[in-house]
Amino acid sequence: MIVLLAVAMGVSLGLVLQPTVPLDLQPYLPIAVVAALDALFGGVRAWLEAIFDDRVFVISFVGNVLVASLIVYVGDKLGVGGQLSTSIVVVLGIRIFSNAAAIRRRVFRA
Amino acid sequence: MTTVSEPSRSVPTGTKRPDASMSLLVDLSTDALDPGYAAAAARKRAAGVEDRPRWALVGATVAAATLVVVVAAVQTRASAPSAARSRSALVAAVGRQSATVGRLERTIATLSAEQAALRDASLASSSAGAALTRRIAAAELALGNLRVTGPGLRVTLGDAGSGNGGSRVQDRQLQDVVNALWSAGAEAIAVNGQRLSAQSAIRQAGDAILVDFRPLVSPYVVTAIGPPVDIETKFGASGTASRMRGLAQLYGLRFDYARAGRLTLPAAPDATLHYARPVPVPAPRGRS
Repeated sequence: MIVLLAVAMGVSLGLVLQPTVPLDLQPYLPIAVVAALDALFGGVRAWLEAIFDDRVFVISFVGNVLVASLIVYVGDKLGVGGQLSTSIVVVLGIRIFSNAAAIRRRVFRA
Repeated sequence: MTTVSEPSRSVPTGTKRPDASMSLLVDLSTDALDPGYAAAAARKRAAGVEDRPRWALVGATVAAATLVVVVAAVQTRASAPSAARSRSALVAAVGRQSATVGRLERTIATLSAEQAALRDASLASSSAGAALTRRIAAAELALGNLRVTGPGLRVTLGDAGSGNGGSRVQDRQLQDVVNALWSAGAEAIAVNGQRLSAQSAIRQAGDAILVDFRPLVSPYVVTAIGPPVDIETKFGASGTASRMRGLAQLYGLRFDYARAGRLTLPAAPDATLHYARPVPVPAPRGRS
């Protein structure tokens, strides 16, 4: 219930405020999106497996976003930012996929 | 030896996995769930506490994660139309400019025609002027500036088919044919509808033959206006024609020509005029 409320709040905040991402932060937006989705799917799966832990959830979200952005930042400084952000999207994308598959198996038993 | 029923990286076993060197992808899929969850659950089980999650914290994080996703979507939606807008603005600008160029070209054509009419009208008043008008007309005909029509000769050159060795007509052969036609008395010549003027160039660029920088494709139809019988006789007797006949026999090129009763050749594109200037002569030194 609270989770659904939070989702609704996030969506309405984003739609109402229409915040503009500063130009300097724009390269990190896709990375942050993928990291956020990864944390959300991981949390849902942990919830379904009855091992959800609020501390792990929060720290994994914040940590993933920060580390992913840091990797891309370093990559940008070294001139390989695009490749590194691709690699992060691939790795986190695989994780999202396997977590989604686990959720699907648990929910639909298929 | 006991077999490990479920090999997992998080359970350290004494034996080395055979695929240890390529464990990255395996890890990715087996450890998709953050191992922290399992560790936390194990810790809680060991401590024997059953704590309620701090819902405010979880809610705030979920809201933040959702916000990030929504912001990204909003951002993308906001910037996509601007990209499309700038693209379509460029396309529109290109279209506008080409329309302007076309309009200006039409204006040039109208003004040149007007100028020619005015010139003819002002020259027609005197007999010297009438002679000048005739000279101008002859010069324009020679320059290829006028659309002309009349009887003449049509020469066709063509590449050999692929079954025939695939030989191709070269720019030199086309040049030879055109030159032979000029010397046979042609008054105006066009290649595939491209009128040749005194400044035209026929050359090869890769596979294509360019006439005045416009690429043409085989077959090349050379139309020449002039006294048909005369041209046909002289052209047929020329060295170029006999050489072309030989090439046609040897390599399967197409080469034929026929008189045509009525040919219409378009005007050549406006020529850029270049003027020759006399070199200043040094003052003659004492030579009495």
